Amino acid sequence: MNTKLMSSAILAFVVAGGAAMAQTFPDKPVTIIVPYSGGGSTDLIGRQLAHELQEIWGQPVVAENRAGAGSMIGTAYLSQSAPDGYTLLVNTPAMATAPAVQKDLPFDVMTDITPIGMVATSPYMAVAGAAVNATTFAEFIDEAKARPMFFATAGVGTSSHFTEELLIQQSGITADIVHFSSGGDAQVNLMGGHADVYISNTASVMPYVNNGQVKALVILGSDRYELLPDVEASAEAGVAGIDVDSWVGLFGPGDMDPALVEKINADLHTALASESFQKVLADNFVLAGNDTAAEFKDQVYSEIDLWKKLAEERGIVAQ
Amino acid sequence: MDILANIALGLETALTPVNLMYCFFGVFVGTLIGVLPGLGALAAISMLFPLTFHLEPTTALIMLAGIYYGTAYGGSTASILLNIPGTTSSAVTCLDGYPMAQQGRAGAALAMTAVGSFYGGIFGILVLSIFTPVVSAWALSFGSAEYFALMLLGLVAASAISDASVVKGLAMVCLGVLLATVGMDPQSGTARFTFGSLSVLDGLSISALAMGLFGVSEIISSIRRTESRRLDPKAINMRSLMPTRDDFRRSWMPMLRGSTIGSIFGTLPGTGPTVAAFVSYGLEKRVAAEPERFGKGAIEGVVAPESANNAADQTAFIPTLSLGIPGSATMALMIGALMVHGIHPGPKLVSDHPDLFWGLIMSFWVGNLLLVILNLPLIGLWVRLLSVPYHLLYPAILMFVCIGAYSVHYSAFDVMVVMGFGILGYAMRIFGMPAAPLLLGFVLGPLIEQHFRRAMVLARGDFWSMIERPITGVVLVITALLLVWSIWAGVRAQRRQKARMALAESED
Repeated sequence: MNTKLMSSAILAFVVAGGAAMAQTFPDKPVTIIVPYSGGGSTDLIGRQLAHELQEIWGQPVVAENRAGAGSMIGTAYLSQSAPDGYTLLVNTPAMATAPAVQKDLPFDVMTDITPIGMVATSPYMAVAGAAVNATTFAEFIDEAKARPMFFATAGVGTSSHFTEELLIQQSGITADIVHFSSGGDAQVNLMGGHADVYISNTASVMPYVNNGQVKALVILGSDRYELLPDVEASAEAGVAGIDVDSWVGLFGPGDMDPALVEKINADLHTALASESFQKVLADNFVLAGNDTAAEFKDQVYSEIDLWKKLAEERGIVAQ
Repeated sequence: MDILANIALGLETALTPVNLMYCFFGVFVGTLIGVLPGLGALAAISMLFPLTFHLEPTTALIMLAGIYYGTAYGGSTASILLNIPGTTSSAVTCLDGYPMAQQGRAGAALAMTAVGSFYGGIFGILVLSIFTPVVSAWALSFGSAEYFALMLLGLVAASAISDASVVKGLAMVCLGVLLATVGMDPQSGTARFTFGSLSVLDGLSISALAMGLFGVSEIISSIRRTESRRLDPKAINMRSLMPTRDDFRRSWMPMLRGSTIGSIFGTLPGTGPTVAAFVSYGLEKRVAAEPERFGKGAIEGVVAPESANNAADQTAFIPTLSLGIPGSATMALMIGALMVHGIHPGPKLVSDHPDLFWGLIMSFWVGNLLLVILNLPLIGLWVRLLSVPYHLLYPAILMFVCIGAYSVHYSAFDVMVVMGFGILGYAMRIFGMPAAPLLLGFVLGPLIEQHFRRAMVLARGDFWSMIERPITGVVLVITALLLVWSIWAGVRAQRRQKARMALAESED
């Protein structure tokens, strides 16, 4: 038997074995890691996903909080798990931003993590606090040029930090970044007039907007958001070049069998179509994801590049 | 009368059989978790969190809240009887509670703790129900500059907390502050003293530190003791529970002051019951006529921190419910329990969901009453839980400590941290170094750093403009005065002692 034949035989065997694994998956309980502490919006969506997948798979699906280091504790745990689909993870764009600032990660997002699919997506939204007078985004830029503002983040290297740097860069204003310990903390300081602007996904800021505690300022992007048509988009005021959205995605460990990834991606979309999941998504002002695993992977990788470049340009990386 | 209608509505909600049952379940589990060293409210609430998906939001919150303030009652029991804090916020209670137990006055200490906790709880609920709108507006006006000043005041006020020499106390505060610098720098993101490990990027866990320093080190040192210590459950009966008239006379002012301090610290997100307990203990020691009694079984040193941490537990709900801002990880879970049901806490919560808000507050009254019943007549039950022979009890406690440390982050590293601090704590005992100031420095150090650096960014580096803020300025002046006064008082005491010694020598 020559080597070529042998390797193709092995290949056939591996593919068949993988397909068989994807067909029988899952035949034991599955764990979905939520790399944040309980009670937040990602936790909520992760738990709902676990609940829906349990219905579909007929196997227990457990959501497990492994919080810490801006989601990297849970993500590192995933990277060390077996790529058999029984350990999965939900995470946010922190997957792309945290590696841009944390130098000691024991894994490489590109090789040790497999993007499976997007669960939910929504644009980023800037909200303004009590000290801001402007009601439109154009007015805001004028105000910010006259009085340098404080942009509040949810912590160094979080997506709020990166999107704020991006907005400051693209709108040509000068502003100071001030780091708080969480998104809630940042928004309290907006309410008290201690800081001026905070950017996060709609799920994190809308409760405070609806309560009249902070003002909706602008949606980052070229178009308005279909779920919140009254809030203007940043491109309308002539600020271009901001085309990033927030998301919650489903990930597995690196080197997962493509057939298995396809199967989980398909089951994810079945789960998302259910009425109960749709309600949770609508309550949080997010849309269900609908892309393939390959499309999602491309998006994650392009964001990793974007934030790495921005971190260098704006001197975000701590030395 | 609006308030009467609200109370009626609240009682109607709180006293439905289902809510009453879950309230009892919550405070019972809370007391149990509190009594067992190692397991804290956060671990208990995280474990029961998924259960709340199937409950009415009000019922869910009543149960979770019951666990939360129930642990504050139970936490002091282990502190007093075993010198091991059941919860971090009752670590200070060890300082005087355990000496009382050694003097055979455990019953009185437990009883006064229950009374103080009840008083603190009730005081906190009153503040919560009457001042919620006012207090939340007030809490908003607190920026980082104000927090910095307040935390510095806390550190100065409580730094005389230990009984050992001033130098040893200060050294331990500094060690605590240094240990707290481990982790990610809050303003630049630089990893400090992490040695490339992700596990310490968020810093060392406070509950792991407290469990190791107080709990594990107590267990290690008890091995060396030759006499077999054993709690006699019969020794703590209704009669031994009766505090003396003197206990009451000494306790009512500390209770009042403790509750006030607790209510203030509870409303400020990020500070909470542990800081409140420390500060109220420090204050009592400063205002006491005979500060030397502290650390040797002073009832004030038990009652004040227990009133303070219970009051803080109640008022912590003010920012949580009225602003939607959780002050701690436990409070974030409470908000999460509401968000699952599509309710976002905020200023509109009271008007949109009056039955939830007032029902919850009324359930606090009910819960605190249940807790007094659980903790006074039934104290024997909890004592019996801890009166298992020591050679059986200690391995069990070690196990609970490990489970508790592990369960918060599912991290084996945290268990190692507990053991590491256990060994450090044992070494500190041998050299007569007090552990409480270390915990104080560990709690307040990072808060002071974070808020100071944030305040400096917000003041664009202008330190004077920070001091010109009215609240900040006033608090800093008080802090400076207190510092000068303590130094002066210390020097004076030393001179007197020298004079006395000189007198004694000349008489020889």
